[in-house]
Amino acid sequence: MAKKALLISPELCIGCRGCQTACKAWNQLPAIKTANRGSAENPPDLTPNLYNRIRYVEMPSESNQVRWLFVSQRCMHCDDAGCIKICPAPGALFKTKEGATAYDKDKCIGCKLCVAACPFDVPRYDEKDKISKCHLCSDRIAEGLAPACAKTCPTGAIRYGDRDSLIQMAKKTGYAKVYGETDLNGLGTLYAFKDSPKIYGMDEHPAIPETVVFWHKVLKPLAYLGLGGAVAASLLHYVAFGPKKDEEVK
Amino acid sequence: MGNQMIKKANAFEILNHWLLAGSFFILTITGFGFLFHLQQVVAIFGSANTMKVWHNYAGIVFSISLFFTIFNYLPVSLKFGVDDMGWITKAGGYFSKKAAIPPQDIINAGQKLYYLFILFAGIAIAASGFFIWLRPQVADIRKWVLLSHLVHNIAFDLFMIAVPLHIYLGTLANPGTLRIMITGTVPVEWAKKRHAKWVQKMGY
Repeated sequence: MAKKALLISPELCIGCRGCQTACKAWNQLPAIKTANRGSAENPPDLTPNLYNRIRYVEMPSESNQVRWLFVSQRCMHCDDAGCIKICPAPGALFKTKEGATAYDKDKCIGCKLCVAACPFDVPRYDEKDKISKCHLCSDRIAEGLAPACAKTCPTGAIRYGDRDSLIQMAKKTGYAKVYGETDLNGLGTLYAFKDSPKIYGMDEHPAIPETVVFWHKVLKPLAYLGLGGAVAASLLHYVAFGPKKDEEVK
Repeated sequence: MGNQMIKKANAFEILNHWLLAGSFFILTITGFGFLFHLQQVVAIFGSANTMKVWHNYAGIVFSISLFFTIFNYLPVSLKFGVDDMGWITKAGGYFSKKAAIPPQDIINAGQKLYYLFILFAGIAIAASGFFIWLRPQVADIRKWVLLSHLVHNIAFDLFMIAVPLHIYLGTLANPGTLRIMITGTVPVEWAKKRHAKWVQKMGY
């Protein structure tokens, strides 16, 4: 099955936050009480009950004194996902055939390691200590429907479709580089950035934390190798040198 | 004189050792279950959630037990003298039956090093484990959790190498040793050959 993705074009976003509302409606998430922080951006961060939000970035440039960037923030649905890599609970975090990074709350053991291993600081925890984040509306896309956010977006700032055709479309529209095309083996949330990703508050080169990669590639196999090696060395010693029989001990 | 026995480990020490060993065993199989998503291991505990409860609470038993080992082994392990160096240079006689080993304390130089290692790695694995579990409210929590995760797994790998060797040396490699952790007593003549300094101190 062709991998699906979201293509986010901040230049098309008008900051209406219909996507935030549609997401809450579909996923049955309650509203959160927030305080006025002197910014139109609201809420200030992702929460267990807020899977996606529009970040309002004020970035005046020489040609545009009132430059306001609207960047949709949510799970990036990495193909090589740090959260899945570190997760110790079988089946709690997984990739769907469409490419979404989805989860099963019943199987989540609440260890919160995924929070630390995510390159984008996305996973949150609900009141029962279970993982809570955007799952690309995996229940909708499995039925061929678009995720709620993309479905409701009135300007085309959030588009859903086949990953390859979205990338092609962005390139045809004049975006030389699509953010997330190759990072982490290909992200499921792509961005058409006009400027450097940094301006939009994104990492230039997102990566799984080095300690997690080292653990996965070296420490995990070493657990088996160490145990097997120690047992083998003991048996080898027993055969080669034998036990210390009492009459032999001086 | 020939059948005279000497008490090498008291009841508390034996009980504590088996608590440490038992909790270690539970921690290890649940640890392997989490590391490699072993469905068969998860099935033993019923669910990954239950397995986590076993892992965490076995960690408490392990930590308390590790703390109490301090009184049995730490003071003597820190006394590392010429005879201990002699044991090390001759590799405890494990690779040559002709090697003459200098007289040893109640535990020999290898056991002292093993104990210091267990204490060090045990504190590391317990502290990092409790950090991940209790997740204290600190700045940069994600970095601290990643560090704890790294320390927890490095210590685990070291345990996987050291503990099988310890079990081998305490059973097959040294016939007559296992009873120290069962009845606590050994024949005086047996002890004289292995722990001469201690036997002498005990007045035999």
